[in-house]
Amino acid sequence: MPLNVKIGFFLAVRALRRASLWTTGLIIGVMILTFLNLVVLSGVLVGLMQGAINAVRTQYTSDVIVSTLNDKQYIENSPNIVALIESLPEVAAYTARYREAGQLEANYRTRRDTDKPNTANAVVVGINPVMEDSVTGISSGLVEGEFLTAGDYDKVVVGGYLLKQYFPVETPGFTTLENVAVGTKIRITLGEVTREVTVKGILKSKVDEVAMRAYLVDSQMRSLVGRNDGNVDEIAIKVAEGVDAAALRDALLLRGVGEVAKVQTYEDAQPKFLKDIISTFNMLGAAFSSIGLVVASITIFIVVFINAITRRKFIGILKGIGINGRAVEVSYIFQSVFYALVGSALGLALVYGFLVPSFEAHPIDFPFSDGILVAPFGQTMFRVGLLVVSTVIAGYIPAWMIIRKNTLDSILGRN
Amino acid sequence: MIETKQLTRSFQNGDIQTQVLKGIDFLVPDGQFVSIIGRSGAGKSTFLYQMSLLDEPTGGKIIIDGHDTHTMSQDARMRFRLNRFGYVFQDYALLPELTALENVALPLLMQGHSRKKAYAQATEALQSVSLGHRLHNLPSQLSGGEQQRVSISRAIAHKPTILFADEPTANLDNESSRAIIDIFKKLHKAGQTIIMVTHEEEYAKEAERLVRLDDGKILSDTKHHR
Repeated sequence: MPLNVKIGFFLAVRALRRASLWTTGLIIGVMILTFLNLVVLSGVLVGLMQGAINAVRTQYTSDVIVSTLNDKQYIENSPNIVALIESLPEVAAYTARYREAGQLEANYRTRRDTDKPNTANAVVVGINPVMEDSVTGISSGLVEGEFLTAGDYDKVVVGGYLLKQYFPVETPGFTTLENVAVGTKIRITLGEVTREVTVKGILKSKVDEVAMRAYLVDSQMRSLVGRNDGNVDEIAIKVAEGVDAAALRDALLLRGVGEVAKVQTYEDAQPKFLKDIISTFNMLGAAFSSIGLVVASITIFIVVFINAITRRKFIGILKGIGINGRAVEVSYIFQSVFYALVGSALGLALVYGFLVPSFEAHPIDFPFSDGILVAPFGQTMFRVGLLVVSTVIAGYIPAWMIIRKNTLDSILGRN
Repeated sequence: MIETKQLTRSFQNGDIQTQVLKGIDFLVPDGQFVSIIGRSGAGKSTFLYQMSLLDEPTGGKIIIDGHDTHTMSQDARMRFRLNRFGYVFQDYALLPELTALENVALPLLMQGHSRKKAYAQATEALQSVSLGHRLHNLPSQLSGGEQQRVSISRAIAHKPTILFADEPTANLDNESSRAIIDIFKKLHKAGQTIIMVTHEEEYAKEAERLVRLDDGKILSDTKHHR
């Protein structure tokens, strides 16, 4: 180890060990706050969107979604595709869905001819309740009534966004059903066919694809749309433990599923605007964090500058008795690194030991998502590096400024 | 041996130039204990700073053991100060966060000695000034006299060629001052070259040689035989 580094370390350790506890605590406190500002701010911003993405993945697409091609009405040859999916060891569970655009109507018996019909446009979905729940677990989102069972005929579970009491938003062209609760009879119209069903449950979710749907048992849906060939519109697949969604997608594409259906991972299926928002939030987070980093650097600069200027006489004496100025500079660098590392270590413990688990257990309740804290370890460590580097620079500059002053002037306190 | 030839030092303050040292010729052979005395502003401390290479003269030469210091780089001067000189300052100049032992060991560590050797030498130096029981005390836990003795230990631990002392007793009571002068006399007896600046006639006379400075020139140069 070079002598200057050795002496610098010797001086730094003693300066830190015998420094005022309050000053050390204050500097480390600033470092922790800066670290949190660097990691948590952008992490929460990105977490808003990540929460939405996670919810879409959990409740709608699962890991891989197979869906109708844009120019087709359904997935052709669905029974064979379902059989293929069932046979793949990468698949843990799947759910096949029928999907049609339709209209729901309530209070049609009591409505006078002059009244506006109480209707809402909805995507009507036919599901196998057990299989659907095993993949998406949407029954956990029920806020009223019960979820469907296989024998439920003329029963429907309605998404919250289709009901005025759960989505009281007046948007031109968008209507919701009024006065509908569990047990209410409503009419579902799919093309030319209309059927009266009873609301069995109401499902609340922040995922549009879930909350704006009405769910029927698949056998009833088939009879409604008159499709008896087993061709479905969506298949959501949950991969087995340790399997990469992209690997399953590729396996399906390799077996020709892509010729009759869109095969996408949950990431592929994300709308582009969502990706754009994430990158924008990342940028915003980085911008805000940079301000924090500059503030922390200035704080360290001021602390080290005041420290060095009040110790200018001692620095002069050190140089006077033959201690190399570089060793003194190194001692200030070590002290700055210490503050940055301890601050970051405590910040890391706080983020991964408390904040991330807390956000996961109690996400922030945003209207469109359950916000979590996104803090990928690699990115976090990069930010630790950034904090250390900026702190080292902020610590080195004032030390260098004081050390380069004339030795005798420093000893005598002359300017 | 240290020798100055026509040594001058002036300071510029705006348009005003003040000449503090006005061409001093001076020679200190090895092993001599010299006191430099003079009234305030006589230039005695400035003279000491030039000889101890803490400052650079405006003119003239300083030759130490045959080395013309005028041609030395800053780094070389720093190494020279580290290896050949010892310093005792008026206000002790100890690092507050280092213990007595660490303060004394620091220059030895900078010389490249191992921690063990540096601490052993530092302990020996502190014991020689009767501070063997204060090794692990911080300067703030020591009296003024004790701090000055630590400062002397630091100055002598690496066995310097010349020990420079700038008003070493100025901040001390009579008893402590007497103890410091006794240490210097003991060091001198052991062959240490000492150049001490003081304004206290009583202590200046304790040296082997007394140089009186006034207005940047040597007024008198007297050798005592004790």
